[in-house]
Amino acid sequence: MALLKRLIDWIDVRIGAREVVAKELTGYLLPRNINTWYSMGSILLFIFAMQVATGILLLIYYVPDADKAFKSVTFIMNEVPFGWLIRLCHTVGSSLMVLVLFFHMLSVLFMNSYKSPRELNWLTGFILFTMVQGISLTGYLLPWSQLSFWATTVATNSVGAIPAVGQYLVEFLRGGKLVGPPTLGRFFALHVALIPAVIAALVGAHLFFLQRTGVSTPPFGQKETANQWKGDGYHYENHPGGIPFFPVYAFEDVRSIFIYLACFLGVVFFFPNLLFTRDAFIPANPLLTPAHIKPEWYFLANYQTLKLFPSEFLGLAVQGVAMTFLALLPFIDRGPERHPLKRPLFMVCALGGLLLWIGLGVWGHYS
Amino acid sequence: MENSGRRTFLGLCLGGLAAAAAAAAAWPVYRYLSPRSTATTAARVDIPEKDVPEGEAKFFELGGASAVLVRKPGGGLIALSAVCTHMGCIVQWEKDKLDFLCPCHGGHYTAEGAVISGPPPKPLAKLPFTVANGVITVG
Repeated sequence: MALLKRLIDWIDVRIGAREVVAKELTGYLLPRNINTWYSMGSILLFIFAMQVATGILLLIYYVPDADKAFKSVTFIMNEVPFGWLIRLCHTVGSSLMVLVLFFHMLSVLFMNSYKSPRELNWLTGFILFTMVQGISLTGYLLPWSQLSFWATTVATNSVGAIPAVGQYLVEFLRGGKLVGPPTLGRFFALHVALIPAVIAALVGAHLFFLQRTGVSTPPFGQKETANQWKGDGYHYENHPGGIPFFPVYAFEDVRSIFIYLACFLGVVFFFPNLLFTRDAFIPANPLLTPAHIKPEWYFLANYQTLKLFPSEFLGLAVQGVAMTFLALLPFIDRGPERHPLKRPLFMVCALGGLLLWIGLGVWGHYS
Repeated sequence: MENSGRRTFLGLCLGGLAAAAAAAAAWPVYRYLSPRSTATTAARVDIPEKDVPEGEAKFFELGGASAVLVRKPGGGLIALSAVCTHMGCIVQWEKDKLDFLCPCHGGHYTAEGAVISGPPPKPLAKLPFTVANGVITVG
């Protein structure tokens, strides 16, 4: 312990580390009525780190070549010691990252934390959400199985519904008229280099905005629940008399991460094939379309929406409008009230939208 | 005092649990990264005699390392490790000079593997072999 103290002293006299800890950790106070939903961001950071670590490990054996990709994934799963564990952690982690991201966004939505001055937090978070969908979509192709090949064919094909430039965009995305080896090269580069870098930059921006505006106060258990910020100048929302981030809430974060890990490892060890269909174990065959190819669960609502509309363009346009509305929500919903139970119209729209999304997803799954 | 003892005990338990969890997570990663068995190529290799004409060298993999068979003018066979004893590069056969050159740092070996010049500290390792029914078995 004496050695540790001497090491800390040595660092402290050089960079003032204790001052940083006092300001950013022990002296960083959070609202007293903070709840577990505020841990979702920390869980997401943990998942992202896990995805990066397992992704780097997979890169050691994965071969991004259409002739070898499926074989290399089979090799990882069957031959490399604990390769199955690393790959399952990566695939299950990607799905759970989307799920936790949904929970994070829903908690922000229902606690009305997206309201001014936190528009930039919401916007960066929303772009992160689309990036996570993008990284999941591009990663889906990499095993080069029947499932990944045909799911990518369907997903990229829908872009063709955009008037005038649609067909060109499809070819540009695929690197050719059909999904093939050039598509694998493109998606691989996007999946392992470009999108992770964009996600890391956006996470940095998201945390920076959080740091500058301060943690929002949950509207629950408060007498005054209206937004106090008038937009007349920069204001940091501090919480005098609040609970310190370290050690109090940091332990809450750790507890939430352990609960997540329990669920995550439960799927990895007890339901390893939950996310795989039979077609995931057959190498891609560009001449043999399997029946009933479905996208991942989080794209099922989009898939069903496209099927519902008589024109594919209309289906895409409706989704585009819905996504734009969500992205710009803090700029549209400018009312000061933040308590969801004092906002019946908001509650009806938010719950209705959520139920519609779940309903379309279930319909898409069974259709 | 009692509180302090309890705190130390709980701290030790927590530290032990954290160490066990870290080891449980690190072990699969270590095993995943560990080199696979070096015996990816056979420990014995059969080469037809006709593949090694006089004055020629035949390079091949033996037990995960590089090896070479040389037939000297006159018919004598030699099996050697092809790994230079200086820095581990693979030597090349110089047919015109009937010797080995290591292109990394200019080490020269005779066809028997003895050092002629350059930095190699010792000769190329000799490998056992047998010849039967027109087949050379090395290893």
